[in-house]
Amino acid sequence: MRGLYIHIPFCVRKCSYCDFYSLPGRQDRIKPYVSAVITEARAYAGLSFHTLYLGGGTPSLLGAEQLKNLIGGLRQTFDLGGLVEATVEVNPESATPGFLGAAMDAGINRVSLGVQSLSDCELESVGRVHTAARAIDAVTLSRNLGFTSLSADLIIGLPGQTWDTLSAALETLVRLGINHLSVYCLALEEGTPLAQRPPGNLPSDDTQAELFELARAFLIGEEFIHYEISNFARKDHECLHNINYWRGGEYLGLGSAAASHLQGRRSRNRPALDAYVENPTGQAEYVETLGGEEKAAEEAMLRLRLLVEGIDPGVLSGRFSPATIETLVSRLDSMVLSRMLEFDNSRYVLPASRILTSNEIFREVLGTGTGGVPGGRHCEV
Amino acid sequence: MDNIRNFCIIAHIDHGKSTLADRILELTGVLHTTTNAQVLDSMDLERERGITIKAKSVRMPYKSKDGQEYFLNLIDTPGHADFNYEVSRSLKACEGAVLLVDASQGVEAQTIANAYLAVDAGLEIIPVINKIDLPNAMIDECRQQLEDTLGLPGKQALLVSAKDGTGVPELLEAIVTLVPPPKGRVDEPLRCLIFDSFYDVYRGVIPHVRVFQGSLRHGDKIMVKSTSEVYEVDEVGYFTPKLTPCEVLSVGEVGYVGATIKNVGAIHVGDTLISPEHPETPGIPGFRRSQPMVFCGIYPINTNDYGRLTAALEKFQLNDSSIVYEKESSAALGHGYRLGFMGMLHMEITMERLKREYGQELVATMPSVIYKVFTTAGEELYIDNPSRFPDPTRIDHIEEPLIRLRVIVPNEFVGPIMELSDSKRAKLVAMEHPDRRRALLTYEFPLAEMITGYYDKLKSVSRGYASMDYDFLGYRNGDFVKVDILVKENQVDALSFISVRDSATPRARVLIHRLRKLIPRHLFEIPLQAAIGSKVIAREDIAPLRKDVLAKCYGGDITRKRKLLEKQAEGKKKMKMVGSVEVPQEAFLLLLKMEE
Repeated sequence: MRGLYIHIPFCVRKCSYCDFYSLPGRQDRIKPYVSAVITEARAYAGLSFHTLYLGGGTPSLLGAEQLKNLIGGLRQTFDLGGLVEATVEVNPESATPGFLGAAMDAGINRVSLGVQSLSDCELESVGRVHTAARAIDAVTLSRNLGFTSLSADLIIGLPGQTWDTLSAALETLVRLGINHLSVYCLALEEGTPLAQRPPGNLPSDDTQAELFELARAFLIGEEFIHYEISNFARKDHECLHNINYWRGGEYLGLGSAAASHLQGRRSRNRPALDAYVENPTGQAEYVETLGGEEKAAEEAMLRLRLLVEGIDPGVLSGRFSPATIETLVSRLDSMVLSRMLEFDNSRYVLPASRILTSNEIFREVLGTGTGGVPGGRHCEV
Repeated sequence: MDNIRNFCIIAHIDHGKSTLADRILELTGVLHTTTNAQVLDSMDLERERGITIKAKSVRMPYKSKDGQEYFLNLIDTPGHADFNYEVSRSLKACEGAVLLVDASQGVEAQTIANAYLAVDAGLEIIPVINKIDLPNAMIDECRQQLEDTLGLPGKQALLVSAKDGTGVPELLEAIVTLVPPPKGRVDEPLRCLIFDSFYDVYRGVIPHVRVFQGSLRHGDKIMVKSTSEVYEVDEVGYFTPKLTPCEVLSVGEVGYVGATIKNVGAIHVGDTLISPEHPETPGIPGFRRSQPMVFCGIYPINTNDYGRLTAALEKFQLNDSSIVYEKESSAALGHGYRLGFMGMLHMEITMERLKREYGQELVATMPSVIYKVFTTAGEELYIDNPSRFPDPTRIDHIEEPLIRLRVIVPNEFVGPIMELSDSKRAKLVAMEHPDRRRALLTYEFPLAEMITGYYDKLKSVSRGYASMDYDFLGYRNGDFVKVDILVKENQVDALSFISVRDSATPRARVLIHRLRKLIPRHLFEIPLQAAIGSKVIAREDIAPLRKDVLAKCYGGDITRKRKLLEKQAEGKKKMKMVGSVEVPQEAFLLLLKMEE
């Protein structure tokens, strides 16, 4: 499995919580940016991919024509014959019939909508561009155009949010035929306007936890599977592209600030739009190659995010040598004894009670919880 | 001997002592280049904090205006009340003292304390007003203060700017004319005062001495008066300020003695070196073993570092023999050491240096004074660690150490200072006015209150204008209780503290409240309790943590997520485990800051 990620760092407006790399008011650069992505792609010409994901920023700001150019360019450069899932993130305000139709024509088969909330107060309080009604329209439009895989993002912990508003949103989305939901807890990221001036009605961490538990119960009642810490899906609607991240799989990220994982090597492009357009292939700013034991520990940590699939010891020993995973496996076993993990159906899985307090477990899996970080890391900047 | 002048410079902190010493060294040709480096303060920390911890001395040749050649010995003194005894020993080695007053500040508390010590030592005092180049110099006021507060001839005070050198030549002339030459006979048996020492890896302890009788040369036998231990001298010399060997150190002279003294504990400041052939030679009066006044426990964060801590302390003590330490173990903190210091500042500086020079991550516990505990069985126990207090039923009564505290403060701050001092159980014994704008308050003050943040508080309520100095008075009876702190039913011995009964509950409440804010939430509830014996006097609970998750693991930037987790793990390594609870280091210093 190999994934292809394209980062589209353009936004109409920056939401107050957002610390992703995206720039408002730079849409004039979309065209040269798309060309730059194709140029960067050529450095990897001939690679084959099974999933494609256009994320952002706001990919729907590309418009029909640039979307067509982008995907056309990618198809020319790569072997996309085996593509099984192609997702585009769409913001409600730019979910036009023209764009969605072009996406359909270009072979996109999954739409992920940035709904975030269905309360206008909540949306406005964090600077979202769209209204609840517009978001509902976007879902309906996507469905009517024939997209059968529909995902929506929801944020837990928006200013003034209660179970009333959250449950109404969940119900509406489920009724509209959404079959995948990413439910994120709002985090005050350093340097964001929200963190600098947090409003008084921001739900506490405890309230967030409570809302999340309620949402989880609701979605499970609606026969969604809680397959990853922040992701719920109806059967066979899990996001394959993201699952690949959590299985420690390979992916190529193209575009400014995009991250890649190829041949055991992690890297990330510098978050600098103009520099990227100028020199698309010279932007890798952080390259890291982990040594065997650390690599295995990192993969175990990622796989534990998959709540149902967990870690299959057989899969692990298929990917790493016995010596490499020896201490990791004994660590996992002792974590089962101390009830930080469960061993169920011959897989290590995160206990449901620990989903929201999993950091401690992940630290332990990484081997940083008890002693030093195992050696063997190789960093270049 | 008539051409020797032994003198020191005494001053309040920052009144320009080290700068003046530099000018004198330059003028006598000992120091050639004009630099900002203050030669006598060699430790970084001393320079940073503007105080001299270790006394040193320098011999300088000087040709006076009338053509006479002299040797001037400048004996440096530690500049803080914690080292009062050491100061008094350095003064003892001199015949004269230059009393330096900052023209913009006037007489301060340490000026007074030092002047008293110099008078007690029978020294000729030369009053000097420094920093006369400053626009806000108040020369007349300073003259008046010297007269009124210290009974010194203020009108004759020399005017100096150590910064630009003005008046320094005149000061040197005054030193040779006013300071009497040393007395004593070279044909009497050896008698010399140890006023400092340092440790050399190759040569052992090197005492700094002032010869009061007889002489010392290579091959002589010497005896330490208090212990009767005998050593053979392998080198004598003086400081330029480098160690410069010479043939003989004769009566009246100041220098060092090398005698391969390997044991740091063999040499104490104030002791006397005599000739073993004349063991009856009396010691120089005033010798006492310096007693540590303030104690605290130190523990490595990582228990594996205990060996490194031991090595660090051993090495450390070689250069500061006033520190005492012994093994201590705490149920909460594991194995560590209990350290004794001369005072609060000494403690702070030592902790800083331990961390800096030896790279040790340390938890320091709440400092404590020594209490005298009288048991019902008639024992008298000296207890410097609250966790070692006997059961209350065994205690008849408890006494605490008392100091005499002098505070000089502008009049407008007298009210706040009195209020602050009252809250610290201080007893005002005198209030004087060194000049029209300032008051001198003299208190009998419990040392225990002094070490829990009084000095910082004093500085803040007086906006930095107050100066203070203290000396030890004795012990006083009081009504004390021991308060224990329990974290999730586990008693944290390192957090136990002694309090006056009346204020135990409010102090415990503040502490518990602070502790609640400091200890991070865990996955379980953590009750925090303060108790006297089995009686709980304060309680708060830390609610369980419900959310600690990196939710948005997304976009494939895995490295950043992993780094975040690793960073969290690093933070946790700095915590101490108390039972199943991770307690941050700051918690152990909470009591210190409790009154803020």
